[in-house]
Amino acid sequence: MKKTYLIGLLALIAAIAIIVSASKDVSTYATFEAATLNNTRVKIAGQIDKNFDIKYDPVESPNSFSFRMVDSDGISKKVIIKKPKPQDFELSETVVVTGEMQDETFVADEVLLKCPSKYKDEELKLKSEASLAS
Amino acid sequence: MNSDIQYIGEHLLPGIFGHFCVILGFVTILFSIVSYYNASKSELDNKGTWTKFGRWGFITHGLATFGIIAMLFYVMVNQMYEYSYAQAHVSEDLSMKYILSAFWEGQEGSFLLWMFWHIILGLVIIKKSGSWEAPVLMFVGIVEAILASMLLGIHIEIGDFIYKIGSNPTTLLRDVFAAPIFEKADYVSVISGTGLNPLLQNYWMTIHPPTLFLGFSSATIPFAYATAGFFTGRYKEWLDPALKWALFSGGILGTGILMGSAWAYEALSFGGYWAWDPVENMSFVPWLILVAGIHTNLIAKSTGRAIRSTYIYYTLTLILVLYSTYLTRSGILGDTSAHAFTEMGLEPQLIFLVGFTALVALYLYIVKSSIIPVFKKEESAYSREFWMFVGALVLFFSGAIIAASTSLPVMNAIVGIFDPEFTGTVIKDPIPHFNKFQIWTSVLVMVLSAKAIFLRYKTEYFSKNQKVSFAKTQLIHAAIAAALTGLLSLWINYYHWKYIVLGFCAFYTMTSNFAYLVTKAKMNLKMASSVFAHAGFGIMIIGVLTSGLNQSVVTTNPFVMKGLIKNKDLASSVKLIKQEPFFVNDYWITYESDTIEGKMRTFKIKFEKEDKERGNIDPFYVYPNILFSNDLTKVAASNPDAKHFLGKDIFTSIASLPQSQMDIKFAKEEEDSLKYVTYTLGIGDTIFTKENYGLIEGINFDPQHSDYLEHTNDIGMGVTINFKSLDGEYDEVIETAIGVRENMLYQYPEQINELGLKVRLNEKAFDNYFSTEDKLEYKVFHLQQGESFFYNEEEYILQGFDKEVQNKNYIPEPDDIAIQAIMIRKSDMVTLKPIYIIRDTKPSNIKDYDIKMGVHMRLMKIDPVNEKFSFMVAQDDRSNTDIVLDIAENVKRNDIIVLEAKMFPGINLFWSGACLMLLGFFMGLHYRRTEKKRS
Repeated sequence: MKKTYLIGLLALIAAIAIIVSASKDVSTYATFEAATLNNTRVKIAGQIDKNFDIKYDPVESPNSFSFRMVDSDGISKKVIIKKPKPQDFELSETVVVTGEMQDETFVADEVLLKCPSKYKDEELKLKSEASLAS
Repeated sequence: MNSDIQYIGEHLLPGIFGHFCVILGFVTILFSIVSYYNASKSELDNKGTWTKFGRWGFITHGLATFGIIAMLFYVMVNQMYEYSYAQAHVSEDLSMKYILSAFWEGQEGSFLLWMFWHIILGLVIIKKSGSWEAPVLMFVGIVEAILASMLLGIHIEIGDFIYKIGSNPTTLLRDVFAAPIFEKADYVSVISGTGLNPLLQNYWMTIHPPTLFLGFSSATIPFAYATAGFFTGRYKEWLDPALKWALFSGGILGTGILMGSAWAYEALSFGGYWAWDPVENMSFVPWLILVAGIHTNLIAKSTGRAIRSTYIYYTLTLILVLYSTYLTRSGILGDTSAHAFTEMGLEPQLIFLVGFTALVALYLYIVKSSIIPVFKKEESAYSREFWMFVGALVLFFSGAIIAASTSLPVMNAIVGIFDPEFTGTVIKDPIPHFNKFQIWTSVLVMVLSAKAIFLRYKTEYFSKNQKVSFAKTQLIHAAIAAALTGLLSLWINYYHWKYIVLGFCAFYTMTSNFAYLVTKAKMNLKMASSVFAHAGFGIMIIGVLTSGLNQSVVTTNPFVMKGLIKNKDLASSVKLIKQEPFFVNDYWITYESDTIEGKMRTFKIKFEKEDKERGNIDPFYVYPNILFSNDLTKVAASNPDAKHFLGKDIFTSIASLPQSQMDIKFAKEEEDSLKYVTYTLGIGDTIFTKENYGLIEGINFDPQHSDYLEHTNDIGMGVTINFKSLDGEYDEVIETAIGVRENMLYQYPEQINELGLKVRLNEKAFDNYFSTEDKLEYKVFHLQQGESFFYNEEEYILQGFDKEVQNKNYIPEPDDIAIQAIMIRKSDMVTLKPIYIIRDTKPSNIKDYDIKMGVHMRLMKIDPVNEKFSFMVAQDDRSNTDIVLDIAENVKRNDIIVLEAKMFPGINLFWSGACLMLLGFFMGLHYRRTEKKRS
């Protein structure tokens, strides 16, 4: 057999193996409901529920904070993040948390923020309104 | 909009000039492309006229682009906020040393930077490349035109849709935003700049983007040579110049990526140098493919094989560079990256441009690749080219895997078009996902680079002796590598067999490559470049094993028992109270002090090792800091600090502070929630709170409170109190103060964290000691120089006058006549210096005040005939000497920090390995540039 074919074949096998292996690393964004049913580690994307306070007291427990999050189904649940609260957390539009459900609470060890890029415009608007009022 | 308003204070000329340059730059680059196209079709190029046209088109484009850059700098340096780009990226308080950073903070600025480098490289090609100028610059021109179109800012309305072509950086703010402020004709005078994100205010932002963009721009050149070679049919000649440019580009792009990773490690609290973030990945993938191209290019130069592969790799490199621009600037990465992106609404244009470049490359390949001769016999397994080709394929695979995983959001979007219900998929834990594949691509790359270097090009056959000797050398190298792998385990943990394999292969390629340099290449520089690149990669991988796999958290909470919590990262930081040493993992850590300078608050933290016999030893300090936002209302960024040792780094960052220290809003809320109790006492009295008591020691009019000293108050008073806890552990004298400046009262409360107390001097106490002007009862005295008078049983002597008037309330004007009296109080020799002024024939005066006794003195009138001077004197009513204090209890501590400290063992191996690898590129380039001169 020609070596080129052999390499091609090996590459093909490797590619299939990689795709099979990689597909296990991938999941859909879960919801609180799905997380409760499956009870596995999932990622949930949602919005911070502005009706509730974000609770973080670094004096008492520096490595965790909690808030309520609304998932894509519109369900609001308490989320505990086992990390110090990132700066600008309040400002973020969407948060993505990785973890699992424990009873009625979602316990996560990772959180990713998406800070709105639009807030620069809002700031300008606020500034201009303020200066008109003066 | 608002075209009927005549705006005041706008500078419209730079904008008109800039806009003209944008259009001129775009038109001239198109002209240059067409001219160079005709020049490349040699039958059309009569005496090189088309080449000249193309060249002048390119140079004019360059001048126009420099014009846009100059215009933007002009409006930014002069803070002309009527321009949206200046408004968005500079502010009054932005230091000039960050003006470059501010320039390329925005998308348009970074496109301009990219174009700038293309122009510089284009000029080098005009000067150096001879007959390649026309076809190469035609393809460079196409890429440049793509970038220039990103600045056009043309909006086309088709029905309800508005298609944006480019975003013009020279537009006015009022054309970008619709806001009520633009109803005002003088809006320019009231707006201010947004300024540069504090995270980006450091020197990395000055050096990293230009390097990275030089890497991106130079990646265009091998692409242009490849396409030009196919286009003109000179399918072999392009290989030589393309290789030099590819080495240059590989070195620069690699340096740019490494700088980004050093930035992430050193200045940003990403907690490491590589996180498989989409932004990192998408600059890394083109580099991998470029490196694959360099290898096939070497094969092609030596054997004539792999020309097609080289073409594919080089064109793919540029397509991936453009694709990464699309990914990082379209907002499609959305939830997967820690980097913030701004959407410009240019997605369709970016997609079109990536597709267009790919189609140009594909079309040329289909039409022209048949002219390249096909080898009937395939490469022998004993030849170097065979294994290099496999190595290039591995690099391609490595890049393809990373690119595919990173493109998951793009796939989601595509599926989403056909299935609107589809919510998309995401990689659960990216870092392990990427690592598990890249371990094996690295292993293959290292084994191949160890083996291939001992083979020769075009070898068809190995005799038995050759086979034996080859196997023998490889076995010796493997044995040395195995020994080194074992030795390393004395220092670090491998945790899993696959990391032992990775470590072994890294040592194998290091041993093999250095052995080659010494035994075969006889220290010849020609081969040293590849030896350094490959061995450097091996060293870098060892650095990854030591600093990545073996990094550890220093600040784990000692009370969290191992095994109780699943994820070992959960408690990664500890709370430190100021000046209270805290013990974690071998270290005593003390938060000693902190200082505020401008927007930065720097913490001084001491680390000490515990030693049973000698107490604490080997102290060292780290200085992590936090940056406040430009308006100083809240924390904007936390900058880590690392202590570098030869064998390891101790990396620290402020993970958090008390809410009140992070955000002015919380500070206010917390202050409002305190329940102050008011105490009225005298000097020598004792205050009793629940668990503590304080003795009032005295009043002074020269407070030493640290916040008080930061301002220049006109007058102020402080009260010192000796607080003690009932158990006797706490015994300190504190001071609380009040000050007046510009007719405003400022309180300087003192917080005693140990006791949970906050003590504030009440305004009433201030009123007891200081009378306002309207409450003063002045008495008038007339006297001559040398005479004295008595006021409230004190004798004051008019000693003389001073023509040199010095008083902070007096600002001299020309033609002023001012005179300052020198009045001395006999009992304590205190001098009062009231001032008399005649300005514009009108007399006036400035009083002097003695805070100790509360004496106010004015020089009212001068009678030149009798040489008599009239003074008015009054004294504060200090009959009530009560001290009024507000004291709150159970106050939350504000003197704590949450610190995260990590240890990166052997991180210097990572940096030095990476640098050695990149040095290999530049050495190769140097060798190939001087090659011709030698032969």
